[in-house]
Amino acid sequence: MINDFHYLKPASLKEALAMYAEHDDCKVICGGQSLLIVMRQGMVTPEYLLDIKHVKELSYIKFEEKDGLRIGAATTHREIEKSDIIEKKYPVLVAMEEKLASIQTRNWGTIGGNIAHADPAGDPGPVLIALNAEIKFGNSSGETTVPLDEFFVDYFETKMEHGDLALEIHVPTPEPKFGCAYQKFNLLDSDMGIVAAAASVTLNADGTCKAARIVLGNAGPIPLRVTKAEDLLKGKKLDDALFAEAGKIASEDCEPVADIHASEEHRRHVLGVLTKRMLKKAFEQAQKAA
Amino acid sequence: MSHAKYNVINTHVHNIDGVAKVTGRATYTFDVTLPGMLYGKILRSPHPHAKIKNIDATAALALPGVKIVVTGKDTLGIKQGIWRRYEELCDEQVLPLEKVRYIGEPVAAVAAVTEEIAEAALDLIEVDYEVLPAVYEPLEAIKKEAPTIHEGVERNVNVTRHIEWGDVDEAFDEADYIREDWFKCSGQAHMCMETRAAMSNFTPDGKLTCWASTQSAYYTQGLLAGVLGLREGDVRVLAPYVGGGFGGKFELDAAMFCSAVMSMKLFKPVKVVFTREEDFIASKRRTPMFYYVRTGIKKDGTFCARESRMFSNGGAYTGMGATALYLSGFFHSFPYKWRGYRYDGYRVYTNTLPSTSMRGFGAPQAMFCSEQQIDWICADLGLDPFEVRRKNGHTEGYEVPGQAFIASCGLKQCIDEIEKWVKAKGELPANRGIGISSCGFMSGGIFNWFDSPYSFSSAVVTINVDGTVELHVGCQDIGQGSNTTMAIIAAETLGVKMEDIRVHSGDTAHCPADLGAWGSRQTLMAGNAVKMACEDAKKQLLEFAYAEMGINIVYDLDIKDRWVHIVARPERGLPYVDLVKKALRAKDGQRIMGRGYYTPHRKGMISPAYSYMMQAVDAEVDPETGKITIHEVMTAHDCGQPINQLGLIGQLEGAASMALGYAYLEDMPMEDGKLMNPNLVDYKVIKAPQMPEAGIIEIDTYEPEGPYGAKEAGEGLTNPTAAALGNAIYNAMGIQMKELPITPERILKALREKKEQEAQK
Ligand SMILES: Cc1cc2nc3c(=O)[nH]c(=O)nc-3n(C[C@H](O)[C@H](O)[C@H](O)COP(=O)(O)OP(=O)(O)OC[C@H]3O[C@@H](n4cnc5c(N)ncnc54)[C@H](O)[C@@H]3O)c2cc1C
Repeated sequence: MINDFHYLKPASLKEALAMYAEHDDCKVICGGQSLLIVMRQGMVTPEYLLDIKHVKELSYIKFEEKDGLRIGAATTHREIEKSDIIEKKYPVLVAMEEKLASIQTRNWGTIGGNIAHADPAGDPGPVLIALNAEIKFGNSSGETTVPLDEFFVDYFETKMEHGDLALEIHVPTPEPKFGCAYQKFNLLDSDMGIVAAAASVTLNADGTCKAARIVLGNAGPIPLRVTKAEDLLKGKKLDDALFAEAGKIASEDCEPVADIHASEEHRRHVLGVLTKRMLKKAFEQAQKAA
Repeated sequence: MSHAKYNVINTHVHNIDGVAKVTGRATYTFDVTLPGMLYGKILRSPHPHAKIKNIDATAALALPGVKIVVTGKDTLGIKQGIWRRYEELCDEQVLPLEKVRYIGEPVAAVAAVTEEIAEAALDLIEVDYEVLPAVYEPLEAIKKEAPTIHEGVERNVNVTRHIEWGDVDEAFDEADYIREDWFKCSGQAHMCMETRAAMSNFTPDGKLTCWASTQSAYYTQGLLAGVLGLREGDVRVLAPYVGGGFGGKFELDAAMFCSAVMSMKLFKPVKVVFTREEDFIASKRRTPMFYYVRTGIKKDGTFCARESRMFSNGGAYTGMGATALYLSGFFHSFPYKWRGYRYDGYRVYTNTLPSTSMRGFGAPQAMFCSEQQIDWICADLGLDPFEVRRKNGHTEGYEVPGQAFIASCGLKQCIDEIEKWVKAKGELPANRGIGISSCGFMSGGIFNWFDSPYSFSSAVVTINVDGTVELHVGCQDIGQGSNTTMAIIAAETLGVKMEDIRVHSGDTAHCPADLGAWGSRQTLMAGNAVKMACEDAKKQLLEFAYAEMGINIVYDLDIKDRWVHIVARPERGLPYVDLVKKALRAKDGQRIMGRGYYTPHRKGMISPAYSYMMQAVDAEVDPETGKITIHEVMTAHDCGQPINQLGLIGQLEGAASMALGYAYLEDMPMEDGKLMNPNLVDYKVIKAPQMPEAGIIEIDTYEPEGPYGAKEAGEGLTNPTAAALGNAIYNAMGIQMKELPITPERILKALREKKEQEAQK
């Protein structure tokens, strides 16, 4: 059962930050899709709930060619999924959102809540890191921006501290000849991923690999970069053998934990397969891209 | 048979309680509130096997708001079970006195003024356990050195069942080819949308009213009366709406029992609602089974003999397990003719959540083994799986020796239709295959282990002055739509419209006794009772019509669409409502009332009638990850005359989703007797958007024993699917899946083994 709590409803971002600074035993609630589950299980029992779902300043999708994409933390998964500009410029985000939970959950759950929750099985984390995204967070005394890659610290833990709110996700405009792909492995469509892999590839004009990112989901305490495999690809002419080699590295360099849904061995194996496939998919996109 | 002659049967009729449900007006047990009510919670055992040495509730009772704590000592301590005729199978004290036998077993119950207080009180009850060695798997529990779970039960064997006909050994001698396989079938949670729930209200007049989420109000009434020391008639069970049963809700459960015990002590209403976790860990499950199957066949594909042994994980108590043990063995022979057949089933106690009946009643497990092995034999011998099934399949007039008589059977047409469907799909891409599986199922059991002296089904129909009809039935609507089906049969029989019928069900005080919703029995059994009751009432009406119309007695009269008329000259007649009014006056104001009942006689050991079907599953495997994608399910289905057209489609889709879940998703893994996934994140069920297309081809047959020719639909449809998926995977990848659920890891393992074998050759 959910414990009793005081409900705080700020009218503005400023008020939200002030309220958060003021109350010690306080949890932020946005869509509640992750928080309410742990509250119901009695694992989180805050005295205060600070509801930021209605803070308008946190809900937006903006795109400028030079600056890239900016998404307010309280933007819902569904809004991202249905955004024309994101569909056009970052189709991988839309594809990811379409397979994130049910429509009901996407209608409530937010991108900020998802990232702040820092579940290593979350879908947006790996994709956004592959897209080179950064995150802005702040409290009543200031703001900080860090690459999302550096934001996650441990299972359900981020760089944010008490009083910090996630404010905005920034995704840079893709370079020319860029491709990005993501897939999670699950038994039922739209379920949480048992494991997942995101990959992005940027090609040089001569077709060689300029940069690559490989980010694994649910393969360790945080979204996991496979830098060794990324380095392997850099500067090379990419082909199936290299993708397979990168997959092999991914399956070795990950730290997945077994549970009833899959053994560690199977997780490693599938992470390798997904890495190989996503690299190939990202590469083919990059080849076609302007 | 021609469908055109019916006005209501098999037409597009919506569920009569659909509006109440989708607008939230339907009152489920969960919704019942009464003045002064208390909330009950149950304390459960953390140990799989332990002696209860002492229970101290002092601190819990001191918590403000707590009204009572009860343990086994506050009960009559009666060992109960639904197999009431057999004392040794009545083995479960809902609040045990001496020991607990599985994790989650109730040990005490609390009632308090709020749910929060009741829950807090649970933490304050101190139970002193002496932990005993435990055993979790039947093949371990049956060993001599295994711990004893029930005193006096040797080797923990709870029940055995032997089925045999023909000369099995001689029939094996005639076989050209014999194949043996071992299979392992998993458990499955019933996963009702409504968890177990009961609201009991014991009043100073010594009478108990209990709202319960049950598949049989009558069974609940009888079982409650038994354990509480009350007369059956002093217990009224109400179950106006039930959010699913699937075989898990016709025994006595802890919600019913604990709420009733506490209400009797306090003279206050007490409600107990299981949480989802409680429902998972402590409300029984589909029976896990190990099957050894040995089959002998001639080169030309003629089946000779089958000999099977089955060991099931019974968990801590009998429940409905004894019936599942029998039915699994019986349907394992289906739907084929065997010269010799032998089955030995052993239900073994373990220190796990008890297993029981679940939609398909042991048949889905049996078919998973049988229907896959048949395909493998066909492959071994180069035979056509369609042809072999046609050649050996049941036919009309066949007698399963000593067991059953098959009066109607559309199996051959089912096979023909599915063969056409499969062939029309043509060549499939790599790693994709279609698997088939055929089976049959009963239309209600001829079982009376409950020892009911009432007929199996009964109905009473009364006709009001305005022509509206009150239909009282004991059959239980648990979401499967039986109220609608009964209303359809009543409207058709009486010749009135659907909106003229009001169905009363789920109330033992006002409805006649009926065994309830299990074993696919209601359409045939309750349907026959309703038809008979309506014919009785109609006959009384028509007697007046003869007099009123002054016609030659050689003419036949009938009512259709509220028009009473001469069959040969339909334009000659009078409105039904006028007739009702006249009949009332002529009868000195007595209402027209019809009675009907049904109990099967001279129908063998199992069931009065059998449905038949063949199913095909089109599935694809990712050879690198082992992931399965189901593209489509198609079923050709003989349920006799369909009565409730939309209900039938709903049943088919529901069964397909449940059976697909069983085939490749749902599992109840345990560690040291503890269920590892007692929540809806980790327990995987297919949700509506994830359902593949599941089509249906109805095969037209007529069952003489069924109302208007109807028989079973809905439960049997869970039987073929796991095997059909297994066969699809076999056809796609050449691997044999002998364990459920069929997971990606098991697929990859089988693929590896296949590769190794090929390398060795
Ligand atoms: C049935 C179901 C299925 C799901 N399936 C998936 C899936 O497939 N993939 C996936 O990625 N996720 C899935 N989720 C998780 C869910 O989509 C996200 O975690 C969710 O969107 C979080 O957003 P929220 O707004 O609901 O966060 P909340 O639940 O409100 O908050 C989550 C956490 O983040 C904190 N928080 C929220 N907003 C902020 C903020 N702006 N600043 C600081 N802290 C904040 C809260 O304090 C809390 O700790 C599923 C959830 C459910 C219920």
